[in-house]
Amino acid sequence: MNEVIKHSIRFIVLVILQSLILNQLEIGWGIQLMVYPLLIILLPFELGTIYLLTIAFVMGMVIDSISNTYGLHASSLLLVAYLRPQIFKMFAPRDGYDNLKEGNIYEMGTRWFIYVFGTLLFIHHFWFFILEMFRLNDILLILQKTLLSLPLSFLICLLLQALLVSKPQER
Amino acid sequence: MRNLIAFFRRFRVFLVFVVLQIFALSTYFSFLQFPRAQYLTTASSINGSILEMRNDVTKHFNLSKNNDALQRENILLRERLPQSFHRLQYGLVKIDDTLYRQQYEYIPATVINSTVTKRNNYFTLNIGSKQGIKRNMGVFSEKGIVGIIHNTSENYSVVKSVLTEDINLDVMIEPIGMVGLLKWDGRDPRIGSITGISNDLKIKLWSKVVTRGGSGYFPRGLTVGHVRKLNAVEGKPLWDVAIRYSEDFRTIQRVYVIKNLMQEEQQAIEALIPADKEDE
Repeated sequence: MNEVIKHSIRFIVLVILQSLILNQLEIGWGIQLMVYPLLIILLPFELGTIYLLTIAFVMGMVIDSISNTYGLHASSLLLVAYLRPQIFKMFAPRDGYDNLKEGNIYEMGTRWFIYVFGTLLFIHHFWFFILEMFRLNDILLILQKTLLSLPLSFLICLLLQALLVSKPQER
Repeated sequence: MRNLIAFFRRFRVFLVFVVLQIFALSTYFSFLQFPRAQYLTTASSINGSILEMRNDVTKHFNLSKNNDALQRENILLRERLPQSFHRLQYGLVKIDDTLYRQQYEYIPATVINSTVTKRNNYFTLNIGSKQGIKRNMGVFSEKGIVGIIHNTSENYSVVKSVLTEDINLDVMIEPIGMVGLLKWDGRDPRIGSITGISNDLKIKLWSKVVTRGGSGYFPRGLTVGHVRKLNAVEGKPLWDVAIRYSEDFRTIQRVYVIKNLMQEEQQAIEALIPADKEDE
């Protein structure tokens, strides 16, 4: 399948899932599920950061405009896109990244995915809730929201990969 | 010059990041205060139509509950119809009333998008400026108040609900008539709080909280909720009154928009109050 079409489909699926379904769920304890950073980590390894930033910005703004958050999602996703190269470098495999692979759990392994995506998702959630609350008094609430939302969002991202990513053939 | 170009080339990723981030954050913080453009909100026609499609599916989820509520309200209204009164006197002539004049008109609307988990929650309605909706009109449901119109387009409008940080509606606690400002702390969509109430007043739990009608958005006496708990504010002789909203915003669907026919008159006379001097 053509790479551009593949990523466009993921973009649309994630935007619809996030803005029309997940943003409407009320689980309680301040939990808010956010799965769209998955798109950023699945983009090809060799893609430049400028492109990453542009895609992140567009995606964030689309989600914002449908869920009335005016730039909140865009700002957090931009941060994820900006930090992606650094985090990737930090957890790089011994002989570098293979450009034929992509950053999903099947090709890069469970351990790599948990470290890299966990870090990026934590940064995203933390930044999001800080901006949303924007008050130092509520730091405990911010931490509670972040730490409770993070595992659930991560779990849904794991499940989503079964849907969005084609598994490599078993040999 | 060459140094400048080299600088830009070296830091171009960071610069792009900063520019986009500043744009996103400035829209976020300016939209919280006042709406500037509609195309980035659910009031735009594309987003509105997407949400309307979604609402076509989800509106049935609470259908029986909403029907019950509408039926209850119908009974209330039906009881006031002339047919339901027994006539005691004959021979009276109906005259054009000069003692009462219509002040408030109500426009029915449906909530097609709502959130309750965010820090600031906005609802989208399926009517807009074509139906006569303007900014700063009050919105309420049959159980209690919902919010204020924040932004409108031709066919849709966005409501700033009472589940936002700086909603600041003036409300009063019923039997004693004590006035305070309604706020929301962002934790529980069922619980709001009233600030600015002096702690020498005795407030009974479960006393009713109603709108004051001061700012011209709402008529006097619309239900807001009931007093749940009194929390002392540290260092100030004030109560922080926690109230339970009478409307459950998680299942809200049918609302009414209030058109105050005398709002301009009220605002014109209030504009004559001289502003406070800075040095006092």
